[in-house]
Amino acid sequence: MSEAAEFDVVIVGAGVAGALAAGQFAKSGLKVLVLEAGPDTTRDLASYNAHLETFYTASSKGAETPWPPAEGAPQPDGADLFKQEGYFVQRGPHLYGSTYTRTFGGSTLHWLGVSLRMLPEDFELRARHGVGRDWPIGYAALAPWYDRAEHAIGVSADVEEQRYHGLTFTAGYDYPMRRIPPSYSDRVLGAAVNSLEVDLGEERVAVRVRSYPAARNSIPRGDYQPIGALDIGSDGQERSTYIGERCEGNTACTPICPVQAKYNANKTFARADRRHLTLRSQAVASQILFDGVTGAVSGISYKRYDDPRSTSFNEEVATGRVYILAAHAVENAKLLLASGPQSGEGQVGRGLMDHPALYAWGLAPFNVGAFRGPQSSSGIEDFRAGGFRARHAAFRFDIGNDGWRAATGAPDATVIDAVTNQKLFGRQLRTQLADQLSRQVRMSLAVEQLPDPDNRVTIDPAYRDKFGNPRPVIDYRIADYTFEGMAAARKVAARIFRQAGIKDCSRSTAELRFPTAIYDGEEVHYHGMGHFAGTHAMGSDRSNSVVDEFQRSWDHPNLFLLGSGSFATMGTSNPTLTLAALALRTADHIIAKLHDGG
Amino acid sequence: MTSSPRLENFVAFSAQITAFNKVEIWGTGLADVYLDTIDGLVGAAVTDALLDAFAPIATLRSDAARTDRLRLEVFGSERLGPVARAIVKLWYIGVWYPLPSTWQEQFGPTARNDAFVPTPAAFVEGLLWPAIGSHPPGAKAPGYGSWRLPPNIPSF
Repeated sequence: MSEAAEFDVVIVGAGVAGALAAGQFAKSGLKVLVLEAGPDTTRDLASYNAHLETFYTASSKGAETPWPPAEGAPQPDGADLFKQEGYFVQRGPHLYGSTYTRTFGGSTLHWLGVSLRMLPEDFELRARHGVGRDWPIGYAALAPWYDRAEHAIGVSADVEEQRYHGLTFTAGYDYPMRRIPPSYSDRVLGAAVNSLEVDLGEERVAVRVRSYPAARNSIPRGDYQPIGALDIGSDGQERSTYIGERCEGNTACTPICPVQAKYNANKTFARADRRHLTLRSQAVASQILFDGVTGAVSGISYKRYDDPRSTSFNEEVATGRVYILAAHAVENAKLLLASGPQSGEGQVGRGLMDHPALYAWGLAPFNVGAFRGPQSSSGIEDFRAGGFRARHAAFRFDIGNDGWRAATGAPDATVIDAVTNQKLFGRQLRTQLADQLSRQVRMSLAVEQLPDPDNRVTIDPAYRDKFGNPRPVIDYRIADYTFEGMAAARKVAARIFRQAGIKDCSRSTAELRFPTAIYDGEEVHYHGMGHFAGTHAMGSDRSNSVVDEFQRSWDHPNLFLLGSGSFATMGTSNPTLTLAALALRTADHIIAKLHDGG
Repeated sequence: MTSSPRLENFVAFSAQITAFNKVEIWGTGLADVYLDTIDGLVGAAVTDALLDAFAPIATLRSDAARTDRLRLEVFGSERLGPVARAIVKLWYIGVWYPLPSTWQEQFGPTARNDAFVPTPAAFVEGLLWPAIGSHPPGAKAPGYGSWRLPPNIPSF
């Protein structure tokens, strides 16, 4: 490690993993630099509100709508999926349907906030079910960091509702805030289906509508203080806003919570000790520099730009004692691959996963109050574990509070159909919309995917962005294991709808705006969940992984790779809470080493 | 917003085709913005024709009679129908959707041919939200825990 290093730790990426690690380093007195590719337009309230206006004025609203990228830090966009353009180079055979955001705060700016822990058996999929691979650490080892992560990002849940499938909690532990109140439609659905039992192969599974832990502000427990909307001045000082300390039911978690009642990574930066923290935006990491003898990282080269609309930049180098890539599962792999010496025996970028998901949607027999509340507040978690995982994928359902929006483009699409096709106006129109939209029910059926070495991120000199950095090339195939999980999930969803008297509309109005695959002679319309993972998986030794249990590169002793790229398998939980717990664990490990003089 | 007979006619027409009352239409603060937008897109002559067609209908006592005449003389008109439908969508969703290509071939191109939101307030003031007892996503939030309560769709 260079003695002339400018910082103790250099972190690439101002998203949730980088923010949590940076906060820990600064707290322990280590000098930290964070390089962020995107602009710093999300930490003062006026700029944040400009993003909200961008959302309001978009005629078509997707997850990336409020967060347009800079020229030099492009990002995938759902609208690019069916064009042979955009940031990703997709080689198929199936389209990778997910996106992420390259700006200050990362994809936490537009995530839904679902903060489930992985199940104990998710860490031992090979040992327990003979598929996938095992993690080098188990649930028990990570549990204390789950506790800390839930307090660091602010998760609302009641612990007694979260003990299932072997999930255990530290004695006396509870989440920092009470659960987000379940929606009226959650309660109606729960009353209808909570006595239902479904046969899945040889197993009989009892269904229960259960509220899930969410990183959205609710009523605090003890002395926990919820963090609402940020307003950081150009002097770095935080101004009070007095908004967003509770979820207000804006029904816009994705793509933008207007009051920031939902966690975003900027809140962690705002609480960090600024004396030790340097945040550098509009700095696109482009190459990791290695010491040819030791393999250690000697610096990170980055391209700094003044104007997000321009393609001109200056090259600079940041140096530290320890380096952390926390730039996203795809960006981490891309940056490593672009940096010359092959790491991880050709394993970098391999094993890319997501939760390919289906929608099920239908009409309830009466008004259930659709389009109210946070976008969802409950799920069905009963199919996340079981002996069936030896044969097909596990799955979980997210129960929406916003009608068929995600599945069909409602309510806009519903209005357009009524006006343009059914020729309605006036009283008839208003009456029909009130009747139909208020009864819309939607579930997302998110299905596990196993690591497959052929599903991968690579780079190709033929494909570069406007700064000359490589664009990610994606090879992606959904395996039968997942398709069979989808088929099982679809049957369960249909059974739940039948039990609740909900008219299933999922097939009759199949939308073609999602990627399509053919399985068992039938078209499957699936979508990405934004759950990128597995591109630099952790393992027990260098022959089967890129990083160790502390997310340290096997090949480069002072390099750590943070994020869901480190996941050995996905399980069925949304990845943010687990990657947050891993980031805190890694930070503690590094702090101990550095304070030891290591 | 300064009122004018033409703007008042537009508000009356908008109220009739959306089933919101004139106070609610004025209350969006968007009537003049929308009238300007529509004039700019299809030309004031087409808007005038629309309002002229509505003038005798507006004087009818019964809502059913007004609806029947509107269906025949405005929504059933090749020239005025697609414009009226675009105005309904504009009020409900806050987005101007392009007129069909057949309309533009017959009556001339519109100034823009893409879907767009005239002003951020257009999305926020979309009438579909009060119509279904809700609020636009990202605005007019009903407050913590309100979603637990049974829904309430206002009668009209």
